[in-house]
Amino acid sequence: MEKEAAEEIREAIAPAGPLRTLVACVAGLCMPGLGHAFLGKWDRAITFFGSITLMFALGLQLNGRLFDPSLENFFSILKFFADAGSGLLYWMSWFRGAGVGDPTAYTYDYANVFIYVAGLLNVLVVIDAFDIALGRKR
Amino acid sequence: MKNHLLLMFVFSILTSIVLTFIAKNGVKERVKYFFYLLASFVLLSIVGGWLMYPFPF
Repeated sequence: MEKEAAEEIREAIAPAGPLRTLVACVAGLCMPGLGHAFLGKWDRAITFFGSITLMFALGLQLNGRLFDPSLENFFSILKFFADAGSGLLYWMSWFRGAGVGDPTAYTYDYANVFIYVAGLLNVLVVIDAFDIALGRKR
Repeated sequence: MKNHLLLMFVFSILTSIVLTFIAKNGVKERVKYFFYLLASFVLLSIVGGWLMYPFPF
């Protein structure tokens, strides 16, 4: 019984190999939670996808702005990288012309924070997938 | 949705969920850590708001 449990734990924290690690990270950068789904961590995958997508969608709904990669000044570059951390959520919305933003809207600042944090949390989620793939955590 | 307090709650809940699942394994640990994070977010935001109240900007 103990041997089986130990074997299960060993299998769970076994490194995934460089190719699987790379695929998990790229998948996670494309869509929140996809990297974890690739690694078989379905509870985390569903939670990350649901939470980050909802946060991003709320940001857009509340008149937030998607900062484009125009590289105007240092702060807009930072805002672009924070936004683009959401991966395809950002790019699909941007190509569809969503996220124009209305600075006069009551919720504009809150909405921008929702969009920034969704992207930044997704970067943390990708790092988590990287650690799991390398066997550093379960 | 124009209520700042409600938006802060929604933001705190979603952020706490993601950070909890990154940091903890196991249901019991996750539930405890989630409520700890949520309470920290909400209370510190309210305290921060009150501390900034006298500022003119």
